[in-house]
Amino acid sequence: MEIRLRNLRRSYGQLHAVEDVSLTIPSNTVYGIIGKSGAGKSTLVRLVSMLEVPDQGEVYYDDKRVDNLPKSELIAERRHIGMIFQTFNLFSSRNAAGNIAYPMEICHMDKEHIRRRTEELLELVGLQGRGDAPISTLSGGQKQRVAIARALATDPEILFCDEATSALDPQTTRSILALIKEIQKKMNLTVVMITHQMEVVRDACDRVAVLDSGRIVEEGRVSDIFASPRHPVTKDFLSSLATVRESIVRWSKEGGHYTLRFRGSKTDEPIISAVSSSTGAVFNIRAAGVQNVDGEEIGVMITDIGPDAEAAGKAVAMLRSKGVYVDEAEEV
Amino acid sequence: MSTMMNLVLEATWQTAVMVFLSTIFSMLLGFPIGVLLHVTGSEESGGIIPHPVFCSVLSRIVNVLRSFPFLILMIVLMPLSRLIIGTSIGTMATVIPLSIAAAPFVARVIESSLKEVDPGVVQAAKAMGSTNWQIIAKVLIPEALPSLASGVTLTIINLIGYSAMAGAIGGGGLGDLAIRYGYQRFRPSYMVAAVVIIIVMVELIQFIGDRISSHLMSKR
Repeated sequence: MEIRLRNLRRSYGQLHAVEDVSLTIPSNTVYGIIGKSGAGKSTLVRLVSMLEVPDQGEVYYDDKRVDNLPKSELIAERRHIGMIFQTFNLFSSRNAAGNIAYPMEICHMDKEHIRRRTEELLELVGLQGRGDAPISTLSGGQKQRVAIARALATDPEILFCDEATSALDPQTTRSILALIKEIQKKMNLTVVMITHQMEVVRDACDRVAVLDSGRIVEEGRVSDIFASPRHPVTKDFLSSLATVRESIVRWSKEGGHYTLRFRGSKTDEPIISAVSSSTGAVFNIRAAGVQNVDGEEIGVMITDIGPDAEAAGKAVAMLRSKGVYVDEAEEV
Repeated sequence: MSTMMNLVLEATWQTAVMVFLSTIFSMLLGFPIGVLLHVTGSEESGGIIPHPVFCSVLSRIVNVLRSFPFLILMIVLMPLSRLIIGTSIGTMATVIPLSIAAAPFVARVIESSLKEVDPGVVQAAKAMGSTNWQIIAKVLIPEALPSLASGVTLTIINLIGYSAMAGAIGGGGLGDLAIRYGYQRFRPSYMVAAVVIIIVMVELIQFIGDRISSHLMSKR
């Protein structure tokens, strides 16, 4: 199901949490919305998931407008979406199977169907046989798996993940993301992932929108964003990725400091040597790495270019002409 | 000795009946009020159907009833007992003011139990398309159950105390026995017997209540 947002606005008193957001989330994708805390992510997801009404603007699921539905239709429509949360929000009064059964119970589904579907879902999320486990006995990852099963119980077409992996350790995060991707393909879901972690976007999303102060500042395919970020907030998110930043030792005193980004086949070409020999520039590589983003390899290199500003300028121009993204790196 | 035994047994029975019936009636009255107080409260406090005017009016009424000294409330409600039961004296007649006196207390206990329910869980239920009624019946109350059980225990113990006071205006029971025999007729043994039985009752209720609460918790 395609989701379209048109000029959404929502304020709380003086605070403009979401300001004029227009966005199209294509059907059958994993769509990331990344932002720092306070950027308006939570409000945005509450608006998109019909938990809150916008002050202005419209929300469409395919061609159906859903932001102004009367109460009974709103409840019916909510039963076609799934949602998972950072804090899992499972019912402690029910065991794992009971939690998964809940959304089906409130739709008054047949008991036998609920039982069979619960079993299926437990298996889908890798918790077969754990149906009678009390929630408190499950680990964080298992709790999120139960939450995913619960969200999928009524065969939704949209799954909202509100910081779904933020409370999990890196390894569990990876396994949950893998599960979400797998389920997305299996059920042709539109997954909307709200996060503040660039790793989540890199590992799970097809497209991403960067949210800052209630506005979308950049939007596009994840591999494009990783290869050529434009907005400072996006660059900030990219440089916060552990693979690059942690390995920087120190900057040299001369020349400029640059971040180079290569994509696809360029990660294999000896571009640096070519540029160095034809412009006389000297590269002092501080950190480098190749990451796999949505099936495409994106190389990142943080380097000083010397020996002087002129040579650096020439080198940068040549790199750019060869399709390498060059950006002056901020001080670390 | 046997007369004392008989009197004490009879009074104990009367107290038990009074407490039992008024627990049931005060729950019937107070539970819905407690739920209403919670669900119509502000969104920040977990209200699912916020209605500030209704909530604050109801809250005032509950506060006024709670601030009435019980003895005075009993006297004020005597005509009501006469209307419903036909008399304003005796064990059954006492059940009415006892229930009404305890209902606002029950309402507050229920309200505070429901407030403890994780708002995130309620939000999840809402996002899944639960109706308000489903949220109350299938989420709020089950989630708050261990705490609700403690609330019921607290109510019963309070009612044991109230019922002893009810004795002062002819309600029968252990309080009545202690006052009429122990105090007015100078027979300390009656006073001691009444007090000891009340202590035992309170201990017993607390013990059972704790067991139920921890049993409910252990399943989670």
